[in-house]
Amino acid sequence: MAMTCKEVWKEISEYIDDTVTPDTRRELELHFLYCRHCAAIVDGIHNIIVLVADERTFALPAGFSSRLRTKLQNHL
Amino acid sequence: MSAARATERLIADESELISRILSGERNLYYDLIAPYEHMVYICAFSVLRNETDAEDVAQDAFLKAYENLAEFKGESKFSSWLTRIALNTAKLRRRKFRPELYQSLHQSISEEDGEYIPQSLGDWREIPSETLERQEVRALLADAVRRLPDIYRDVFVLRDVQNLNIAATAEILGVSEGVVKTRLLRARLHLRDWLMPLLKSSRVFSRQAFKRGTNPWL
Repeated sequence: MAMTCKEVWKEISEYIDDTVTPDTRRELELHFLYCRHCAAIVDGIHNIIVLVADERTFALPAGFSSRLRTKLQNHL
Repeated sequence: MSAARATERLIADESELISRILSGERNLYYDLIAPYEHMVYICAFSVLRNETDAEDVAQDAFLKAYENLAEFKGESKFSSWLTRIALNTAKLRRRKFRPELYQSLHQSISEEDGEYIPQSLGDWREIPSETLERQEVRALLADAVRRLPDIYRDVFVLRDVQNLNIAATAEILGVSEGVVKTRLLRARLHLRDWLMPLLKSSRVFSRQAFKRGTNPWL
């Protein structure tokens, strides 16, 4: 039986992480073919993950390492 | 070398470094922590959302780890132990000096066991990577992550920002892998619902389409 949207939402995270079983993957992808809402959720989450994982999003401030060394030098 | 073998090797190298630091070769502490500067900073920044506070807390966390190094028993990875110190130090600082950040601005967020219904927001298949060139977009992303309640943010930062696996995330946070997966799903859904309308409206998209079904980490 085809998956409902609610069932799909529970699996979306693991689908993106590629940790679902091949059978579940097939069922999900079948669902995405006809459910634009769920397909859009997967694409949206994927894009968010790509953006936050980009090193520019949480970049270390310039000079961080040298200031850390200076601070530690007083205590080591 | 397999990943498991590489991890074993790393743990052995770090244990050796720690022994030597504790025996008096204190300058080796820089070598021990160098791979984790970014990780500790991100932990602090995700809680505090302020570069100055985050750097200050990161320095404190490294100092605290140094002062307590003899208590590190090697039962977990050094990186896990250090991450816990960083998260705890950041949360203490937030409560003490920035109580206004303690309240999530999204109080309507559902409880962990409740059902979350993702909003219908239309398609967003393009990866808007160029948007990251803009400071306000980076700030938007970081702010949204910071506004997640602690239980969701901790999991999201470790898994999706730091790229740790589910098992390592569970170990650091002292929860089961099932709990990590549930919280991760909830965090991802919330962030998508909050950020997508804002980022879509930025109108600066790459035309590089996301091929659904591909793992973003590969």
